[in-house]
Amino acid sequence: MLVEVRPTSRLRGDKPLDIAASLEPVIRGVCDSTLDLSRLRVVCDWIQYRANFREVVEVRPVVAATTTAHGVAHAAVHGDQQVEIAVDLRRSSTVSLYEVMTVAIARHQNHADDDRLFIESWGAASRSRIWEFNRLYWKALDLWEAATGQMYESTLPGGASDARNPDAVSDLVREMFTWWDELEARNALPEELYVVELGVGNGSQAKAWLDAFIAVEAEQGRDYYRRLHYLMCDYSPHVLEMARSAVAAHAQHVSSLVLDATRPTTALAFLKYKVFLVYISNFYDNLPSDEVARIDGHIYVVETRAYLSAADAAGIAADHSVQVGALPMLIDKLIALGPALVAEAMPAHFADVNHAVDFWRRVWDATRLAERYAPLAGLDLYEIAPGVTGDLLRPHLESGGDIRMHVSNGALASFVDTLPLLHPYGMLVNHDLFVTDTTRYRNGFLGPGKYDGSVVNWINGSLLAHIGRRMGFDVAFEPFRHRAGTSIVTMTAQVRD
Amino acid sequence: MTDTFGRGIRLHDLHDLPYLPTSVVGSYSVPEWLGRLKNDYYQNRLSWQHLSDICDVAIKAALKDQELAGIDVVSDGELRRDNDIDYLLARIPGVRVANSNKAYFYDYYDTSVAEPLPTADLVPLGLAEDFTFTRAHTSQPIKFSFTGPFSLSRRIRTEAYTDSGDLVKALATVLNAEARRLAAAGATLLQIDEPVLAGYPDDVEAAVEAINIVTEGVDVTWGLHVCYGNRHARPSWEGHYDFLFPAVLGANIDQLILEFARKGYGDLQLIKKYGWDRDVGLGVIDVKSDDIETAQLVATRIRRAIDVVDPARLIINPDCGLRHLSSNVARAKLRAMVEGAAAVRSEFPNTRPGPA
Repeated sequence: MLVEVRPTSRLRGDKPLDIAASLEPVIRGVCDSTLDLSRLRVVCDWIQYRANFREVVEVRPVVAATTTAHGVAHAAVHGDQQVEIAVDLRRSSTVSLYEVMTVAIARHQNHADDDRLFIESWGAASRSRIWEFNRLYWKALDLWEAATGQMYESTLPGGASDARNPDAVSDLVREMFTWWDELEARNALPEELYVVELGVGNGSQAKAWLDAFIAVEAEQGRDYYRRLHYLMCDYSPHVLEMARSAVAAHAQHVSSLVLDATRPTTALAFLKYKVFLVYISNFYDNLPSDEVARIDGHIYVVETRAYLSAADAAGIAADHSVQVGALPMLIDKLIALGPALVAEAMPAHFADVNHAVDFWRRVWDATRLAERYAPLAGLDLYEIAPGVTGDLLRPHLESGGDIRMHVSNGALASFVDTLPLLHPYGMLVNHDLFVTDTTRYRNGFLGPGKYDGSVVNWINGSLLAHIGRRMGFDVAFEPFRHRAGTSIVTMTAQVRD
Repeated sequence: MTDTFGRGIRLHDLHDLPYLPTSVVGSYSVPEWLGRLKNDYYQNRLSWQHLSDICDVAIKAALKDQELAGIDVVSDGELRRDNDIDYLLARIPGVRVANSNKAYFYDYYDTSVAEPLPTADLVPLGLAEDFTFTRAHTSQPIKFSFTGPFSLSRRIRTEAYTDSGDLVKALATVLNAEARRLAAAGATLLQIDEPVLAGYPDDVEAAVEAINIVTEGVDVTWGLHVCYGNRHARPSWEGHYDFLFPAVLGANIDQLILEFARKGYGDLQLIKKYGWDRDVGLGVIDVKSDDIETAQLVATRIRRAIDVVDPARLIINPDCGLRHLSSNVARAKLRAMVEGAAAVRSEFPNTRPGPA
């Protein structure tokens, strides 16, 4: 039996975690069970997100692989399969761990899931329903904010996006002016100077950047603003509209584009090799991600299945005049139509829009994810982003011992499709939550968690850097310079060679 | 000439070529599995012998792909090489490689030269053996390409030369010796690649001087390929080919192979303006895009060139090497190129003059 305690930093210091007290009921619980202890893994995390998708104790089957004519496939689930028991140490003292452990093991061994209402089938995490909720949040942000009375930016660490930190913005503009001066001296500066922002939020960062641009131009006596085209890109027309009003003073130099930021070239192909700056902030962490794991030398993808506890489902169903069994249908309608339309379409269940938003928030709050490990038929067959095979995960997964890490599929897709836009002198600048060393996955929980109505994951920066380098870019990380104590890291990518 | 079983091969030579012959620039699609094995070699997890055997198989497959696509002048796809620079630099005596291990085979080494390079009693670099292997596995005419002295010099740190032009000339002398070995091995068409030159337009005359050192005394058909870079399927530079002229007129070469499909055909006017009367390798396939050109589009591009360049002097090829394309895309692009050339060729006589 393997017991892995990941949050090692919490075992020392002023208030060390009493790991013995946490582990005692866990060990007792598994020893009292009939699980094959020789094939058992117990993994202890510290889930820092107050709102998350995990129970205090969860049993995760490791699905065995069988060989077929086409490679590797799932074996039939059987009773003596390898399992992993996951424990959230942060909440371990809030429950009777032995009792919770016993119930979780019994549920697994008896295939007794009747205390859960599943709202989707098993699948890779990036395809989970939680990402549909995430998209709904951004589409109907105004309704969510009205219901909570809180603007989304206030949910960010520090209460504001670092992208509009005035010192950071001015430094970046000065750096761009240096490249442009050099190109201008060689008569190689294009007449039109493009800057692209992906994920524009409320437009405050665009405004900060454009204001700084004018200030630096005046300071340095240049004439670049006249040639500047700033493209604000987002998949939400509502967000873009808000952002446009924020940059009204720069309207002659700003265009807004609705696009899928995981495939920017679908709308921006005309800018291939022409963009001098791609500017991104707090965006990649909000894009779908799978997780992969290496366990005993075998590679697995983490499959998830969203559910509501039976008690939560019953409460929500009662308040919305629906049978518990019909709740998944109601959730489907909410996601497909959004709260405003679903309230109109289904008045029997929703008295008004506010009632629909209440339904949405309660379901979101109650949503949890069951997990299992499914074998991968071959890393080369696992497409982690369009045109990028999982073979690029190999150095990370083979870096020594077992590991579980994010694939950051949405971020990767966006990154890989954005780099071709960059001018040979161009740069991508991204402020976000990056894991810059793969070993971090061995001692920390890095998502998913819930931020308000959205999903947040740390981004596998090591993987992005690896893939960026394979595409001919130098990718660098440094802690965000302009705010002390922040977890935000600045990633830059520039053409190498 | 014999194949690997010692049987005679009836070679098709450059004089057999039809009007508008089709060719490649050099590199061919590198499968992901081959890249992974090359990585293993550069991290000491695979022996040179095994990698060499694997490259043999990959080169045979690349030749077969080109033959099936109908390419008239084929190449080994440069599939033995890690990249366009290091395969040569690492073999040149006097060039130091700081660390011969690489995480990614395509990365460049950190190379330096501490003393002036030897320019006499030069040891073989092994290109003739590469050519001989290719010759034994196809009866088609072969183009054999290697990176030119100017581009090689830009990847070397040195304090051994006060004038960087002297390093370029020294490299040219080394390449000349290797070109003589290639010719002795039966090579009839050699191509010098200068992918970096477009970034240094003020150095064209020095580059041409070095090219003439490379070609001196080597009686083959010589090509010169100048593009805007294809590192990681991206252009390294932007601009126009006017920087090449008139200096390139002084280069002792027979073919000028240029990139047009991605950038447009406006620069063809330079061929006319400066009276370039030798062969032109016309780029009709964009190698930086996965979109597969239609044969009709290729034909349109060729007809447009014919308005400016004597069709008897045109060779049809992609813009650059195909290394960054998947095998399926590379094959489809070559087929489209061959079909497009054939459509235009049907409008002309069946033979073309020999090499200029």
